[in-house]
Amino acid sequence: MSRMENQTDVVQLASVSKIFGSNEHKTIAVQDISLEASSGELVMLLGPSGSGKTTLLTLIAGLVEPTSGTVSLFGRDIEDYTSKELQKLRAVRIGFVFQTFHLIDSLTVIENVALVARFGGKTKTEAKRQALRLLEQFHIEHLVKKFPANLSQGEKQRVAVARAIANGAELIIADEPTASLETKQGFDIIRLLHEYAKEENRCVIVASHDLRIVEFADRVLRLEDGVITQTQLRAINQLSNEPTNESICGIPLTSENNNTII
Amino acid sequence: MDLYCVRILRSQPLRLALTVGGIALCIVLMLFLLSVYRGVADGSVEYIRQNKADLWVLQRNATNILRGSSVLFTSHGKNIQKVPNVKSTSPVLLLLSAVRKDDKVATVFLAGYEPASGFGGPPELTEGRLVLNNDEIILDESFATKFHFKVGDLAQIQGDTLKIVGISTKTNAFVTQYAFVTLSRAQSLIGFPNIVTCYLVKVKEGSDKLKVARQIRERVPGVEVYDHETFLQNNIREMQSGFLPFIYTVAAIGVIVLTAILSLLLSINILERRKDFAIMKTLGSPSGFLPRLIVQQALLISSAGIVVALVLFFPMVALIEKMSPEVSSKSSAEQIVVVVLGVGLMSLISSLVSMQRLRRIYTLEVFS
Repeated sequence: MSRMENQTDVVQLASVSKIFGSNEHKTIAVQDISLEASSGELVMLLGPSGSGKTTLLTLIAGLVEPTSGTVSLFGRDIEDYTSKELQKLRAVRIGFVFQTFHLIDSLTVIENVALVARFGGKTKTEAKRQALRLLEQFHIEHLVKKFPANLSQGEKQRVAVARAIANGAELIIADEPTASLETKQGFDIIRLLHEYAKEENRCVIVASHDLRIVEFADRVLRLEDGVITQTQLRAINQLSNEPTNESICGIPLTSENNNTII
Repeated sequence: MDLYCVRILRSQPLRLALTVGGIALCIVLMLFLLSVYRGVADGSVEYIRQNKADLWVLQRNATNILRGSSVLFTSHGKNIQKVPNVKSTSPVLLLLSAVRKDDKVATVFLAGYEPASGFGGPPELTEGRLVLNNDEIILDESFATKFHFKVGDLAQIQGDTLKIVGISTKTNAFVTQYAFVTLSRAQSLIGFPNIVTCYLVKVKEGSDKLKVARQIRERVPGVEVYDHETFLQNNIREMQSGFLPFIYTVAAIGVIVLTAILSLLLSINILERRKDFAIMKTLGSPSGFLPRLIVQQALLISSAGIVVALVLFFPMVALIEKMSPEVSSKSSAEQIVVVVLGVGLMSLISSLVSMQRLRRIYTLEVFS
């Protein structure tokens, strides 16, 4: 797929491997992975549990260092960032969405969203105003004073997405964002992320084993045992709204030995 | 103060209440010790401080009357009186003696003095009058309150029955209290009619006290002479050497308990909020954000503890003094400031101790 003019490289991985442990306890989490992700793009890392999706996300976020290879974020090698710069990067330019939402239980919805805006350097008033604007945009302004414990799963994840983009993050890293949600809620969330990528020209990387949502991805990278086994480029308008049982985005639902992937 | 810090504390109200209560009690303990120390430090030497003598003459090598012995003879007094510029010489005999009332026995620091001179007698009376004859005694106010003595009652001292004619104040030395009788009664109680503990000397007006002191040392062998201020300081030092280590030890225990309680609560809060803290780290919380949360919690709890302690302190002291009249205390704003600053310092130390746990919270914990 040719890159659009307003697209800029956000993430670049070149031959990245990550090995945990050593000798007989060595675990190769990801091996020789190269990928690029640009603004305006929703990239999906698809694979079963243990395939290395989460490790890849943490590498992209600069939370772990690669054993070999290079990771570049926003055009700069991750090794060149100081830990303070990385913290600032996560506060201002990267947003996170997690499988189990990870909202702060003792803060209200608006406080959860505003907290990240505060991390980004906004004043209390600015942060609250920004949080409220996002919650209104997501049509959940009626939840502002509620605590996470009083929200449905879908509402929690909407709040989490609002939190992730509270600072206008240029890169959203979403780890299994639909895994805890029902189908409709899952679609709602991935649609929000997709809209963010397209309308705000941001880069969204989603790790998931949920085949229901691949239709929203511009690119699907299939991981198995830490290795990208297949890359599929897709345009959203080419996707079917009703994925078949056999394959989604050209990725078979069964592996070569006929085992179900999900 | 960050909202989140308040929310963390409020999420466990019982734990918060217990912690604030524990810290408040530690603060009350420290305030109480300081006020008792001040009360004792002042009270135990008040008898000496209030005395109008210019010079105190004791047996050689004796430095104080609180925890030292001094034996002089009446002949010493006669020799001192002969020293130029000595206006008057008043003997005082101090001895520990048991006072009996019904089946209760208590020890007093009995001061035998010459009523005619007034030197060595009680600094101040709250009730009654000075002793006039050998069958009379004056008791300390707190002693009299504790043992339910009042003016007109009879007290047994070593088999002799004495009538209580007065109640004195500024005569509570904490571990014991002063009682006053005539010198001859004290001498008869000890069984040696010509023995005294010290002589209180007044010098003639306009004469050099230090010169007179030097002349007494030269002309009266076997004695030590102190001016009033030196002798007062000697006794304060002696009192402190016996009392301060105890105060310091108990206060140190209070400080350690306070720090431990606070550190424990903060550490538990960190452990319980481990996931939240890992999320915040991942979301890019500034490096000082989480440590600040810990310090804020510590200061908030300490402040609440201080408020509770101040509310409890004064009624508690009043109650203790009512139950144990010999416990005299003196509170001041200065003591409160010292304790508040100390608690603030301990809060910071507790925060630093607990903060070590923050380093072991990793961003990767949120990816599971």
